[in-house]
Amino acid sequence: MGTNITPDKNQLLAVLQVLRKYNLKGTEELLKKEANVTINLEREKTESDVNSVLTGYKSDGDPETYEASYVELKHFVENSLDIYKHELGMILYPVLVHMYLELVYNGHTEKAINLMQKFGPDQDLYYQEDLRKLALVTKRDHMSGNELTDTFKSNQFIIRMSRDTLSLLKRHLHDKKESVLLNIIQEHLYFDMYEGVARNKSQIDATAGAVVGEATRLDNKAKVYYGIPKAPDIQTLAAPVEDEEEGGEQETPDKPKKKKAKKDPLFSKKTKSDPNAPPPDRIPIPDLKDNDKVEKVKSFRESSRRITLGPETLPSMCSYTLLNANYTVTCAEITEDSSMLAVGFSDSIVKVWTLVPQKLKTMKSAEQLQDVNTDAEDVLARMMDERSGETSRTLVGHGGTVYSVSFSPDRTLLLSCSEDSTIRLWSLQIWTCLVVYKGHMFPIWDVKFSPLGYYFATASHDRTARLWATDHYQSLRVFAGHFSDVDCIQFHPNSNYVATGSSDRRVCLWDCVTGNHVRIMTGHKSPIYVLAFSICGRFLASAGSDNNILIWDLAHGHLVAEFQGHDKTIHTLTFSRCGNLLASGSLDDTVKLWDFNKLSEDTNSEDVNISHNPDVKTGDTYMLRSFATKSSPIIALHFTRRNLLLAVSMYDGITT
Amino acid sequence: MAKASESDLYGTSFSIESMKVIAESIGIANLPDDAAKELADDISFRLKHFIQDSAKFMHHARRNKLMYHDIDSTLRSRNIEPQYGFHSVDSLPFRFASGGGRELHFIEEKEVDLHDFVTNTNVKAPLDITLRSHWLCIDGIQPAIPENPPPQDKEMQKLESVDPVNKMNKPNKESSGKPSTGKQKLRNVETVQIKQLATHELSVEQQLYYKEITEACVGSDETRRIEALQSLALDPGLYEMLPRMCTFIIEGVRVNVVQNNLALLIYLMRMVKALLDNQSLYLEKYLHELIPSVITCIVSKQLCTRPEFDNHWALRDFASRLNAQICKNFNTSTNNIQTRVTRMFTNSLQQGDKLPLSSLYGALHGLSELGTEVIKTFILPHIKNIGARIEVHLEGSLISNLDKVASGHIKALLVKVLAPIIKNLRTPPDYFEEYKTDYGYLGPALQSAVMKARTQPPQPITPTNTSIAPVSATISRNITAPMGIVQNTVAPGRTIVMNPPNRGTPTSGNQKFVFVTQRSQAPGTIQPSPQPQQNTVVKIMNSPNPQPKVVNAPQKLVVVCMPNSAATSSTVISQNTQSQGVISQSSLQGGQIVSPGISQVPNQPQFAVLPKTNFISQNPKVKQEVSIDDLSHLV
Repeated sequence: MGTNITPDKNQLLAVLQVLRKYNLKGTEELLKKEANVTINLEREKTESDVNSVLTGYKSDGDPETYEASYVELKHFVENSLDIYKHELGMILYPVLVHMYLELVYNGHTEKAINLMQKFGPDQDLYYQEDLRKLALVTKRDHMSGNELTDTFKSNQFIIRMSRDTLSLLKRHLHDKKESVLLNIIQEHLYFDMYEGVARNKSQIDATAGAVVGEATRLDNKAKVYYGIPKAPDIQTLAAPVEDEEEGGEQETPDKPKKKKAKKDPLFSKKTKSDPNAPPPDRIPIPDLKDNDKVEKVKSFRESSRRITLGPETLPSMCSYTLLNANYTVTCAEITEDSSMLAVGFSDSIVKVWTLVPQKLKTMKSAEQLQDVNTDAEDVLARMMDERSGETSRTLVGHGGTVYSVSFSPDRTLLLSCSEDSTIRLWSLQIWTCLVVYKGHMFPIWDVKFSPLGYYFATASHDRTARLWATDHYQSLRVFAGHFSDVDCIQFHPNSNYVATGSSDRRVCLWDCVTGNHVRIMTGHKSPIYVLAFSICGRFLASAGSDNNILIWDLAHGHLVAEFQGHDKTIHTLTFSRCGNLLASGSLDDTVKLWDFNKLSEDTNSEDVNISHNPDVKTGDTYMLRSFATKSSPIIALHFTRRNLLLAVSMYDGITT
Repeated sequence: MAKASESDLYGTSFSIESMKVIAESIGIANLPDDAAKELADDISFRLKHFIQDSAKFMHHARRNKLMYHDIDSTLRSRNIEPQYGFHSVDSLPFRFASGGGRELHFIEEKEVDLHDFVTNTNVKAPLDITLRSHWLCIDGIQPAIPENPPPQDKEMQKLESVDPVNKMNKPNKESSGKPSTGKQKLRNVETVQIKQLATHELSVEQQLYYKEITEACVGSDETRRIEALQSLALDPGLYEMLPRMCTFIIEGVRVNVVQNNLALLIYLMRMVKALLDNQSLYLEKYLHELIPSVITCIVSKQLCTRPEFDNHWALRDFASRLNAQICKNFNTSTNNIQTRVTRMFTNSLQQGDKLPLSSLYGALHGLSELGTEVIKTFILPHIKNIGARIEVHLEGSLISNLDKVASGHIKALLVKVLAPIIKNLRTPPDYFEEYKTDYGYLGPALQSAVMKARTQPPQPITPTNTSIAPVSATISRNITAPMGIVQNTVAPGRTIVMNPPNRGTPTSGNQKFVFVTQRSQAPGTIQPSPQPQQNTVVKIMNSPNPQPKVVNAPQKLVVVCMPNSAATSSTVISQNTQSQGVISQSSLQGGQIVSPGISQVPNQPQFAVLPKTNFISQNPKVKQEVSIDDLSHLV
């Protein structure tokens, strides 16, 4: 696997070092012989510096030479040919960072600060935030436990370069023989070489910005089954259930509708099996209950009535505004069938509102339940206490801010995650907490139920994402690899993958079956707070505090488009049920609609392959409309089955 | 604060002095410098680190504002006990204090009396969080309802009126809120830039609102009127209806000035005030229509049917204050509103005896509201002439009651506004003779007023200084008088009673009212109106038992405005009241409306001039002032 190579090298060198220390020549030779496959010759030469791998930045380099060699490098970059200039320029930032850390580590604080002040502001805008964080570190003590310095210390900064540029750089380094520079470049930089012409500045900027540089090509080589598998035979399912469910008079008006639905292009597409879809048994899925089947049919019938949206037919939007909330609302979610709204608050409670005339009922008591005729068709309805209906219910149990809530697809369960580093599973029938899942060590930022139910995934401040099943106390998979908080998580519509967005400014796609990452996508310049998969499953939209929405093609992990327009952090994204529109909601009190259909048509017409980076589409051409609310930041967006857009916002009476 | 570096990247850190002060405050007297330095560095690092981490908590709470519990969460996540007892109010204002070469920023902390705190039983419970739903957009169009932000904020409106080019460059789809169509794209391709016709489509709801509001504003129900005016003053979504509202007002003034219907004029002026007060509206585009209307209400010769009894002075005062507020709000170096308004008032002052006394009063009041400097330069030099003129009426033998009342008002006004100015202009002692020679007839009165002003303790704000103060709400007091009067003025001969008090049932489902408005000022012209009176008011009397059926019955209203003579060209606005906001029976029952309804013609170029009202006809020069040459170009 791709990233395993990086630590492997370090580990190998460390092991070699240890072997040498204890004078175990035979083993060393053996290991060398074996490891030679991966370690290139240059590394052999620097074996004497292997020490630095163990001690990080220990260096006996003259502190005076750092600045001179940086200036030298900068000079070289600026004076090189225009086509190579920008690619070469990519090494300036990591070199500066590592020089700074090396100086700090060796106690030359003054020199370090000097260097940073002189060249820090020259770096690209999107690196300034990290530089600011690094600038805090002025002593060796500060480095221990610092997230950013640890990341830099233990990971190589990945730079993608064309063969020509790389050879140019190598020649330069060979000529100059700057020991400081050579050391840093060998230890801390990893060049991912590709064949082809060097990239220009905008191409570089599009994918730059992550904490440890770009993703290597190897990271995105694995095949991703991004298709949606054939629905478990909704037709055969539908027919009998339908007949059972309705009888007599309902039968006749429904029949023509059914026939019509079969001709629906969406439906016929589903019956053809998608070549990119995973085998249906790739992950174990719980069997469908009768109730689920009824629900599926209902949903299918609803969707046949939905409006297909486009630039000419924009959706209607209903806004649910939370009043008197004064910054206490942290998250909100609406059920798939748009019947309930759950809201998490900073005072540890979760509130559920009903959005339809049906009230929120609780189950009858155990004694009363014994009287219920279990053979009755409407046993589920009979279980509920008719007199207990309320428009909203409160769930109390967490010990810290609730950061995310998620409904199960059958609407009987609700998950919530909190600052108290627990996840709670609530029953929406008896309105109590059923399970407390513990495992994360730090506040949990996000939780999502799988679209098929049973599984759920969480993202946490402890830099891991985890996959759980509702009937297991322990997590099934731990997705580790992010260098900072995992801020958001999202299930792929086929449930085989989860995507995570992180404060290290990378989006990762993880395979639930193996637990490995299959895509790493860089290009965000700030933490990512929301992810959304397109209806077709091929594209992923991500957004965050850099106010841009990026669209990724999961087939190769390419950045496809960048939607700019929001002024503040985007916290919610959703695709219309027909897949033609993307709606985004932001703290700048606006909801914007984007023409996703146009984008996917534009993208499909292009021939892309793995080594070639397609041009990133930007611009206003895709934005259809922006709707402002009255100083109410948008917390959540949701398309109903009929493509009515629901927005949840919190009225902010203080700042106005 | 000592700066670690000049660079942005490093920012500030704690100074050694801060450390020492903090050390002292916890009882460590002599903290060595190097220890303080070490501490300062460490604490700066840690605090910055905490704040960086707190930002994560802030972002996940969907906020852009760091709050105390973000810091608490950070501390908790690092296994450090959070700082209890802190809470933040809406915002934390940093107070600044300096002295002895030291500068200090601090947050004011009030001492809490624990006893009060403990015994206080009736603590206010916070309001419960509620969910409210509304339509944010319908088929891609955002409805203008109070829950939505105004379609165009004030800044945009201002920009648009100041720099019309700006609107042309803007993509149309954003501003209009309507789906973009292929047609609009063409515009950019055309080489000749044609100003787009402004389309003002009003939704059915807006039409209904317009109808309700206009009815309530000029109807008889005072509580409804207050509600309606409040809505006009506060509702954010009125931008699209503004042209119509303005047309309603100016048409209303135009007609009611001729009809001498004081009450309606006052209601219309209150509408102007409400629109002026609305924070989301920028009226500049409509000033060329509004200012003539307002000024008409100041200087018109006759505003009411019985000038000797009705308090039309209140209307003139109110309109003057409105005028001053408009000048203050919208005067720019390009439109020079204040200069032009001032010049107009001044010119009328120079007409001498030809100017009716009521118009003179209006002009004087209009000027006096524009500020001390205006009074000093434009009123004071004329005081002798004016004095001589009103002396005739006040002291002379041929006393006409009407003129006497008017002269009395002018005198009171002049004394009121001039006294504080003269007080400052002249040095005591105030000799009776000097005043007499300088100010003529008004001398003695002024002298006594000045003497009185000198003896009184200096008031913080003199009346003249507040002249351009926002129009106060005192008009409501002024309203009451005319209200009652108008009700009484329904004199036979002036009113066609169309709804006799004793009528049992409504005559038919379809009623027809004919309003004939006579604009002719020549007394001798032939009049097609059913009454031989010069100004005819068509009224429906309040029936003692109002028939609700009448209200529901579809009606047809025909309002005929006759130009100068009873010639052919006349405006006929005939509308079905059920669908159009013209005048419906319910509002007519108040018995005051004579204003024509607003036709549906969008953005019809309004003739900015008032029709030749009575006062103009007798004073050709004044007529020029309020004629098209001047005011229609105000904007």
